[in-house]
Amino acid sequence: MNTLTIAWIALPFFMGFIIYLIPKLDRVLAMGTALASVAYAMWVIFLPQPIELTLLDNFGVTLFLDSLTGYFILTNALVTVAVLFYCWQTDKSAFFYAQTIILHGSVNAAFACVDFISLYVALEVLSIASFLLIAYPRSDRTIWVGLRYLFVSNVAMLFYLVGAVLVYQASHSFSFAGVREAPPEALALIFLGLLVKGGIFVSGLWLPITHAESDSPVSAMMSGFVVKAGVLPLVRCELLVSELDPIIRAFGVATAVLGVFYAVFEKDAKRMLAFHTVSQLGFILAAPEVGGFYALTHGLVKAALFLTVGTLPSRNLKELQQMPIATPVWIVLVAASFSISGFPMLSGFGAKALTMKNLVPWQVVGMNLAALGTAISFAKLIFLPHQRDGAVDKDKVKTGFWWAIAVLIGGLVAANLFYIEAYTIANIIKPLATIAVGWVAYFLIFRRISVKLPRLLEQFEHLMGMMSLVLVFLFWAVFAT
Amino acid sequence: MLEACVFATVLFGFFGIVLKRSLVMKIVAMDVMSTGVIAYYVLISARSGLFTPILPGGTEATEQVAYADPVPQAVILTAIVIGFSIQALMLVGVMKLSRNHPTLETDVIEQSTTP
Repeated sequence: MNTLTIAWIALPFFMGFIIYLIPKLDRVLAMGTALASVAYAMWVIFLPQPIELTLLDNFGVTLFLDSLTGYFILTNALVTVAVLFYCWQTDKSAFFYAQTIILHGSVNAAFACVDFISLYVALEVLSIASFLLIAYPRSDRTIWVGLRYLFVSNVAMLFYLVGAVLVYQASHSFSFAGVREAPPEALALIFLGLLVKGGIFVSGLWLPITHAESDSPVSAMMSGFVVKAGVLPLVRCELLVSELDPIIRAFGVATAVLGVFYAVFEKDAKRMLAFHTVSQLGFILAAPEVGGFYALTHGLVKAALFLTVGTLPSRNLKELQQMPIATPVWIVLVAASFSISGFPMLSGFGAKALTMKNLVPWQVVGMNLAALGTAISFAKLIFLPHQRDGAVDKDKVKTGFWWAIAVLIGGLVAANLFYIEAYTIANIIKPLATIAVGWVAYFLIFRRISVKLPRLLEQFEHLMGMMSLVLVFLFWAVFAT
Repeated sequence: MLEACVFATVLFGFFGIVLKRSLVMKIVAMDVMSTGVIAYYVLISARSGLFTPILPGGTEATEQVAYADPVPQAVILTAIVIGFSIQALMLVGVMKLSRNHPTLETDVIEQSTTP
């Protein structure tokens, strides 16, 4: 059992290097690794008790895997499989596949480890791999977007490191459990690092540009699982120290509302999806105990949406209104949008129901508002005009694309089985009502108005400044509890 | 006192990142900040003593010596390596960018690259 876990952690990194050595086999090796991860994740989800592992004596790496981690790993693995299918027929080089699989491995490591230093290493490897993937087309714009990402995350991780050593000073160990004895400033610093990495609230505003300007397979990976590497440790800390619960939940609600507020007014399809990712991360944090299932459904949906939107002839939703898109592609968009709005039959419904059930009373208004905003923003995609031979980027819609979508949407339908109890009358009526109200609001109000929200807060300097503000706020919040 | 100096280094680094306009200067400021963080780790590990924690070969430790704590030192070694590799990577990116944006001012680059 332990050997299996260690082999699973090491496999992606090993394969990453093998791909460099044997570039001919790049796709096969990458796919094999990702499928192995799928199998391992399924095994972890159904484990009767969690695996705990301490490697190398007292101060070594500690791993902890339970069913919550299992869901995150499954998300990671399925999205990687889908992205590999999508890229199968493109002329991406072996370098791309190697980076993809190393990214997959580092995210796995970040999910599995429960000490601050292993987490730091995993998060940094992840930043480097995602920088290389973002900058893969090597245009000025992608390099700048990548640099910006690397810069923001590296500065956040420096704050995090200071927090980590403060935890060590208090408890003589780097494990997450040391958080209990740690001074409040340590918590504030560590949380800042994780909030920025996870793209939560105002400190996560680097995310829209990064996710929207990258290539669609890279956006799918970033939104699907990379940001979740910062979210799972937050959830873990929250589960360990119950005093932190209100802070994390409050951040969840604030993020959900902020993200959806931007998404509702956004006219660019990819940016809308990116803002929507911010809001969905809020949903994961709003009910941390059941965040795993939500993360799974969101990862699958968002990857499907990014891959599909990438095949459309334009990113501008106003232009798309004028040119009908091909019906098969439209059906995929509708299926994914329905899932994320919480329509029954797809697992987004179960995930939303589960999250809503686990909210504390003061969160309910905010989260329902966010759910309504989700319905409004996805009405924009659902009501796009379509016809059988509509416009679509023929180069991108190949067999590989359909395989990828089959994996993702199939996963969404199958994931229903994880929480079949959600199907009660009351549960079914509520999302239907939310969607109906959302659509009415879309047709009456949001379709007509055109508000352009300023991008001021997304500028590089403001991202840094915002980091210091969030730090001050965290100090205050942690001291207050 | 020493601790105050270390935190001052971290803060100066951070202010440099916010206030400097050139991308290269920002990266240098980030390096200053990470130097501060590294110094803080060394400082913490020196709380218990200054001696290098090595037992002389084959002998049992007989006298009580105030050893430094090796764990944070070992850990920060990893962080130093990661830090400098990230910096190297960033500078490569900056070299590529400098071809079309010779001044490397972030707001200029930002304006010309975001749609």
